[in-house]
Amino acid sequence: MTGNFRSWPVVLALSLLSAPLLLMYAYLIVDTITNSPVGSFVPNEFTLEHWSFLWETPRGRPNIWRVTLNSLVFATSSCLIVLAVSSTAGYVLSRLNVPGRSFFLAGVMVLHAFPAITLIVAIFLVLQMVGLYNSLVGVILVKAAIDMPLGIWIMKGFYDTVPWEIEMAGIQDGASRFRVWHSLVLPQVRPGLFALGLFSFLLGWSEFILPQVLAPGNQVQVLSVYLASLIADDNNFDMALFKSVGLFYIAPVLILFFAFQNYLMNIYGGGTKG
Amino acid sequence: MRILLDGFTKSFGAVTVIENMKLEIKDGEMLALLGPSGCGKSTTLFAICGIHKVTGGRILFGDKDVTRIAPQERNVGVVFQSYALYPHKTVEENIAFPLQVRRLSADEISRQVNEMARLVHIEKLLGRRPAELSGGQQQRVALARALVRRPDVLLLDEPLANLDAKLRLEMRSEIRRIQLETGITAVLVTHDQVEAMSMCDRIAIMDAGRIIQIATPSEMYENPRTEFVAGFLGNPPIAFLNGVVGDGAIDISGTDIRLPKSAGALPSYGARVVVGIRPENLGPAGDVPVKGRISFVETQGRENLYDLTLPNGRVLRSIQPVRSDVGLNDEVEWFMRSDRIFVFGEDGARL
Amino acid sequence: MNSSRNLGLVLMAPAIVLVVLFFLVPVALTAVFSFTTMSTSTGITGGAYQLAPNAIQRLRDQFGMVELAQKLGEPSFVIDERGLATLEAKGVAPGIVAELRSNHLNETFTVRRDVERMIRSLRERPSTPEVKLISAEFSRSLANARFADEAALFAAVKAIDAQLTEDEKAALAAASYSGWTWTTENFRRMVSTPDTARTLFNTLAYVSLTLVLFNTGFAMILALAVHYMPERPAGFFRILWLLPRITPPVIYVLMWKWLAWDTGFLSAVLDDFGVRPRNWMLDSAANAWVVVVFINGLVGASMGMLIFSSAIKAIPQSLFYASEVDGAYRWQQIRHIILPQLRWPILFVTCYQTLSLLTSFEYILLSTNGGPGGTTEVWALAIYHTALNNYAGNLQYGYGAAMALVLVVIGIVLSLVYLRLFNYGALVARPLIEH
Ligand SMILES: Nc1ncnc2c1ncn2[C@@H]1O[C@H](COP(=O)(O)OP(=O)(O)OP(=O)(O)O)[C@@H](O)[C@H]1O
Ligand SMILES: [Mg+2]
Repeated sequence: MTGNFRSWPVVLALSLLSAPLLLMYAYLIVDTITNSPVGSFVPNEFTLEHWSFLWETPRGRPNIWRVTLNSLVFATSSCLIVLAVSSTAGYVLSRLNVPGRSFFLAGVMVLHAFPAITLIVAIFLVLQMVGLYNSLVGVILVKAAIDMPLGIWIMKGFYDTVPWEIEMAGIQDGASRFRVWHSLVLPQVRPGLFALGLFSFLLGWSEFILPQVLAPGNQVQVLSVYLASLIADDNNFDMALFKSVGLFYIAPVLILFFAFQNYLMNIYGGGTKG
Repeated sequence: MRILLDGFTKSFGAVTVIENMKLEIKDGEMLALLGPSGCGKSTTLFAICGIHKVTGGRILFGDKDVTRIAPQERNVGVVFQSYALYPHKTVEENIAFPLQVRRLSADEISRQVNEMARLVHIEKLLGRRPAELSGGQQQRVALARALVRRPDVLLLDEPLANLDAKLRLEMRSEIRRIQLETGITAVLVTHDQVEAMSMCDRIAIMDAGRIIQIATPSEMYENPRTEFVAGFLGNPPIAFLNGVVGDGAIDISGTDIRLPKSAGALPSYGARVVVGIRPENLGPAGDVPVKGRISFVETQGRENLYDLTLPNGRVLRSIQPVRSDVGLNDEVEWFMRSDRIFVFGEDGARL
Repeated sequence: MNSSRNLGLVLMAPAIVLVVLFFLVPVALTAVFSFTTMSTSTGITGGAYQLAPNAIQRLRDQFGMVELAQKLGEPSFVIDERGLATLEAKGVAPGIVAELRSNHLNETFTVRRDVERMIRSLRERPSTPEVKLISAEFSRSLANARFADEAALFAAVKAIDAQLTEDEKAALAAASYSGWTWTTENFRRMVSTPDTARTLFNTLAYVSLTLVLFNTGFAMILALAVHYMPERPAGFFRILWLLPRITPPVIYVLMWKWLAWDTGFLSAVLDDFGVRPRNWMLDSAANAWVVVVFINGLVGASMGMLIFSSAIKAIPQSLFYASEVDGAYRWQQIRHIILPQLRWPILFVTCYQTLSLLTSFEYILLSTNGGPGGTTEVWALAIYHTALNNYAGNLQYGYGAAMALVLVVIGIVLSLVYLRLFNYGALVARPLIEH
């Protein structure tokens, strides 16, 4: 932003361009708590009826709380695995003298660019063969593995910013490499761990294709699959219900995003997947 | 503890940074490794503490060969230029860390930490975090952490580089005081000659991976072995003039200065030499006349520093008690003391 | 663990295990599966031998064994010792069993009516339920019977046709095997079917349109607009345009449906202007394409916007001031100062998004699902429809794997190319602590 150009025409133009987007999000919220006359989009009454899915379970569908719990388990577990694997492997790639280190690093970079979703047919068949099809464990492992290269890459970036001298000092103080990593270096990258954890939780929470393909069963359904099957059911078309479930589903995402956007902005802007 | 580097060689990939260095640090002395940036001071330091593996040669602590011993087992304390305090630990926890690693009892740790804090005068800061300390205070904490486990050697890598001028002066004498009080063998890496001269028992001056001269500060100042050493020590620095060996004297090219040929072996007639004159050896008294124009006067309080431009355009410096009889652009005739002049051959070696 | 080598291997181990299990093995298996006939009907584990109608048909048509096929296809009844023994065990009158054994042993019948007439005409005159019970015991029909291995199959067929030749055995086994087999047919089919060309064309159109219009084009417009704004609105718009990316795909597409469906917002608004309400997402191929490109484009635009924005931020302010002193117009400033600085970011975004667009299909799946009539079916979605989920329920894993293999190969090649292009090798710094 420089001083010499007027900025209001730009603001105005972009506002107009952004209006439809704003409208979509505004109506996502408005429609869940109001009713509008047929053919109109101006609400004329307030209602909570669209939220009845929270206390009534439609026949043939899993209980919403069960589904929410599944989503929570799915997102949290895959996030924890990503954190554990990335915080260790990222450190190795950033700092340790292992044979083939640059080979690993190149490998992680290739994997990072490589679209893992193309492997889904093989993964689908393998999970069926080993009996992990339609189980949360299977899909959690797959999700964690797919997000892992990105996580390793991000954590390596954070480790790279920790001064070498801190590690050298730790070693001179007599600590083992493990101790140095664990009690001196890891605390320095806590913001990175937090950002990556948040990011991969959101990735897990939003994931649709993997659970849809690998774990579609009622017992292990997650919110995205639940909502998609609700929408796909031609017999019960109820946009307000869809939106209420949708709002219920997206609320944690929006809350986390607005609360921690400073942490997340870098990762979203860093040329990452998602 | 006596430290000995014997035939120490260090390469990074194909680049050999240090080749076949021999360096002895005597028990209880403080030795300065002095040299320009990139000459290999830190590399030498890292080899002593074990962060780097040596490519060739041996490192002895006392009689013990530590060449292949991991840094954790060498018992070397290091103070880094950036202090490298652990940002998430308090001062107390920072100093306690080396003791915790050694699994000392809590009482013992707290006793030793307090003792160390008293030594470096930071008793009141123990509860703070490094970010809440001034540079000088951080420096003291780093010293305390390096010393708390009573290392055999203390290594300091440019410990004063990040301090402002006043603190630097203060910490210079503090570090020396602590070193003397603990009697520890210490190596100070610096590229500041004043630091090296004022703090250390001996100076090892390095250039391009080699040690050029090891001597006490005064010995080195008065008797530099090469042009490089002479140029490195002294503030304001020594000035050099090109000359040719003439008939019983050295003629300074482009001027009518003639230096009487002193004792010692000078090269044959017509050889080119370099003559070094320190500022304090040029002034109203002396035996060799020098004519020139005062091109710059820097007032330093008690003394003035004059730049004297010779007819050939070269500049000599002279430091003298403040005087008011000469000023800028005056043409003057001053004198050098020929017994205090250094003559170097073309290869830079002292003649 | 003082040595960084040992510690490094330990700390690296979990990542290596995951890479092997979920990247290397699937890549290899994708290749392996693509040479099989795996599908829902063959199953994915080993198969069995089953004389299903299609197996009989194959025996007749492919192997030319008309007689054998006919025999196997017909229901058949054989009066044999096995059946007699069962009858005895079941307590059927001994007289009946004895008469069957003495007069009718080894007679065969192809029609139930014949065998039942024979039973009814026995001396003891069995009742109708008895006749049914007895005839059932002699039924040796193999239609739809499953056998775990060849030996069991041959043993059963012997009862019907005792003189099986080796040729017949081989043909029988081949025709009746219901498990998957190795084949190169998948690739031949991929090259020859017209669907491939159409899907390829769709994919190219989808990737290039989205990439050019939105992921770089619109992203650039956003980045520039945000650049020429005060900090507060700039921050607002940055977040607003990031929303499509952080919104879970299912909801994001749902909002588009709300906008585009026949009872949706767009239809309602346009209704006031006399435009007939319709499903704007699926009513015509053109509209479907617009929607698909928009949906994916807005998601991709945010990434470009953030990357371009930070690249613009990195341009020294003095350059801007200098150009303004020179009296440059805004678009001149954009052309001569900003755009030249964005060359690498644009290349990066293009490379990165090409791969992810090429392989992402969830937004299309959720919005048009490839419709109307397959006009928006892209390669990745076609894989999904072939191997993972379709209306018919006949999933062709082998063919799907072959299609996926194409993407896997493209993915590997492109990521290696990018690795070179962006010189990631330079990021590998030597560890400073050597122990
Ligand atoms: N890890 C490394 N890989 C390759 N070359 C290195 C490495 N570390 C140091 N060097 C090279 O070795 C030489 C000596 O470096 P060193 O750090 O010892 O210099 P120094 O005397 O400490 O300089 P300074 O005063 O700038 O700290 C330099 O030329 C440097 O470029
Ligand atoms: Mg150094």
